[in-house]
Amino acid sequence: MTLRKKVPFFFVAALAVLTVAGMAQAAMPAGFDDNEIRIGQWGPQTGPAAPWGSVARGSKLLFDIVNEEGGIHGRKIKYFIRDDMYNPAQTVGVVKELVERAGVLAFVGGVGTASGLAVKDYLAENKVIWVGPVGAVDEYVFPAKPYLFAVNTLYADEGSLLAKYVVDKLNTRKIGILYQNDVYGKAGLEGVKQRLAAYKMGLVAEIPVEPTEKDMASQVLRLKNSGAEAVILYVSPTIAVIALKTSATIGFKPQWVSSHTLSDYPLMNKISGGLWEGVITGAVGDIPDSKHPLMVKYREAAKRLAPEERWGVFYYAGIIFADPLVEALKRVGRNLSTDALLKALNSLTGYQTIGPKINWSEKQHQGTDSIMIHKCGPGGSYIKLQDWTANDLAAWKK
Amino acid sequence: MDMKRDYYEDVQLFKSNVVLFWSAALLLVLFTIPLYTPNYYIYLFNIIMVHIILAVGLNILVGSTGQISLGHAGFFAIGAYGTVLMMTTFQLPFVLAILIAAFIAAFFGFILGLPALRLEGPYLAIVSLGFGLTIMHIIGGMDVFGGRMGVKVPPLDLGIKQLGISWILTTDFQKYYLILITTIIMVVGARNILKTRVGRSFVAIRDSDIAAEVIGVNLTIYKTLAFAVSAFYAGIAGGLFGFVLGFFDPFTFNMILSIIFLVMVVVGGLGTIAGGIMGAALITYLQYDLLKNIAEVPYFGALMVAVSKQWFTVVGLENFSSMAIGLIMIGIIIFEPLGMFGVWIRMKKYWMTWPF
Repeated sequence: MTLRKKVPFFFVAALAVLTVAGMAQAAMPAGFDDNEIRIGQWGPQTGPAAPWGSVARGSKLLFDIVNEEGGIHGRKIKYFIRDDMYNPAQTVGVVKELVERAGVLAFVGGVGTASGLAVKDYLAENKVIWVGPVGAVDEYVFPAKPYLFAVNTLYADEGSLLAKYVVDKLNTRKIGILYQNDVYGKAGLEGVKQRLAAYKMGLVAEIPVEPTEKDMASQVLRLKNSGAEAVILYVSPTIAVIALKTSATIGFKPQWVSSHTLSDYPLMNKISGGLWEGVITGAVGDIPDSKHPLMVKYREAAKRLAPEERWGVFYYAGIIFADPLVEALKRVGRNLSTDALLKALNSLTGYQTIGPKINWSEKQHQGTDSIMIHKCGPGGSYIKLQDWTANDLAAWKK
Repeated sequence: MDMKRDYYEDVQLFKSNVVLFWSAALLLVLFTIPLYTPNYYIYLFNIIMVHIILAVGLNILVGSTGQISLGHAGFFAIGAYGTVLMMTTFQLPFVLAILIAAFIAAFFGFILGLPALRLEGPYLAIVSLGFGLTIMHIIGGMDVFGGRMGVKVPPLDLGIKQLGISWILTTDFQKYYLILITTIIMVVGARNILKTRVGRSFVAIRDSDIAAEVIGVNLTIYKTLAFAVSAFYAGIAGGLFGFVLGFFDPFTFNMILSIIFLVMVVVGGLGTIAGGIMGAALITYLQYDLLKNIAEVPYFGALMVAVSKQWFTVVGLENFSSMAIGLIMIGIIIFEPLGMFGVWIRMKKYWMTWPF
């Protein structure tokens, strides 16, 4: 009985301890010291989205090259890859762990829109810089967030440029679009429409598709009946493959044009059984066998440092996302701080490696509006159709 | 010393003063944890406690009633989305919102319980699996739920907006106490359910549903009730989970999550409250912390890096995470079918007779 009376006592004691001690929050560890700069990235390495995990490993290659060359002003880069299995709950976990336990100066890349949106505010609150989120999301950059710098071309800009190419270079007037019924697909649709409006043209078919759809017969039939000679795709890899296979069965052979999200030709060619050959896509990086001196350098380094990796577009996209951060760190010099790095990033203009040209300023953190246009050749090879082109109609630049 | 002389002794919350003392000590530790733990771990504790609520609820269904569910991520999602929707669209206060969401989840649990009256084993597993997947896609297809882009969670306001009372929890530290208190209530609640008539009916159904029916247990009521109670727990857990995360999309609640929940229950120990707690804590810790940092573990980490270079795919050591959880599961089933709870019982017995 006496102990039963002591239960409230324990509660009171616990509460008393709490009130007296208050909230003694430990300070965050710094993101760098005299010998190293800590940089992190999350990305699915296992689970359903694992193929996109190569982005995070691509950034690792760049940091390995930098370290091999002696680091940045005497500091080596310590790079953390954390597998979040494409699950925002785990993304929040790994990001908090890296920020609060390891201490990181910046994050690069980061696959997964939901994952990115889940940690966006947390990173901003803790003044952690984030360069080059994978996937273009308006909320990342409009209005400009002080700590977030985007490298990827917006889907609307890409759609506009793809439509321009189809009209000007392919001389096709009958254009249809098959778009995923979400933010990604709708952004592409908007870009295409904007361009066609400038030509005083319209789409002959405008067909939404649910990302989980497994049967595309009715959609493809509608495209065929519309008489479309070119079809622009803003869909996921699975939907694209099903659409192409269905079209092949019913003898519908338009010129397929797709977003850069499907620009991994060897992969697409394999899963579509060779149907991907001849497809034109946008691209946010040079072709894999490009003669660009930096591309040659990175490709050779990959053979040496990561021989087990396939030299694919997603892999070196990891380099493209990390390149501007490395450049800014070099410009800062020995006196590193988050503020100094922000200043360097904000003044990065006309900077280009193997990706599009990056222009950032205090007010504008969407780095680019340019894409290349590539075509899938035999066996999943790359043919460059058009070099870097900026979107003259980009609405956000006005 | 474990002999019971009357019913009230069986339902007593604290069996002896020793138990009472250690329970109080545990509570004291739990309530003071944020004072001496780095902030990152608070997030981990929050996730663990959310999983504990869910695992304890799932264990009532799987462990005590003997029904299987591979769709608990669906109830979890209903709880998360329901709570957020109640708070944003209907402007309800948090406590009311999470309760309504949990009751909605319970209703769906009841619905899922109906086929369970006819189905058993793998067939029931398929139905529940289908349920979990369907919920994910239905939510993803509806704009009112934010579609596939997911929803941003509103501030966690414990007050009542309409009355002008506002008490917003922002940090993990503050949320910790809310989740801790909820977890304690839910765990004690689960224990009380299992110790009373309802719980005994569940166990009777598990052991033999025909025999249970013969002695007067209404199968229709108790089987669906088990599903509803379990779904209610998942709903409460889901509602809290949303606020721990701050943002989620439908695919956060995928099939893998349902399976992981089941793993927690099996590894922890089927049919016991402590089993659910231990399983949820262990599996969450492994998934969120230890297995993510396996390369930094002394000796073993270096060994695994070498193994990964030699045998694993290009992804490397990350593959080990799923393998480890699979191995633990297989190991538990072969060597300790009672799960961690079994280990705990044996440890207790050993110390009782120690040093003889």
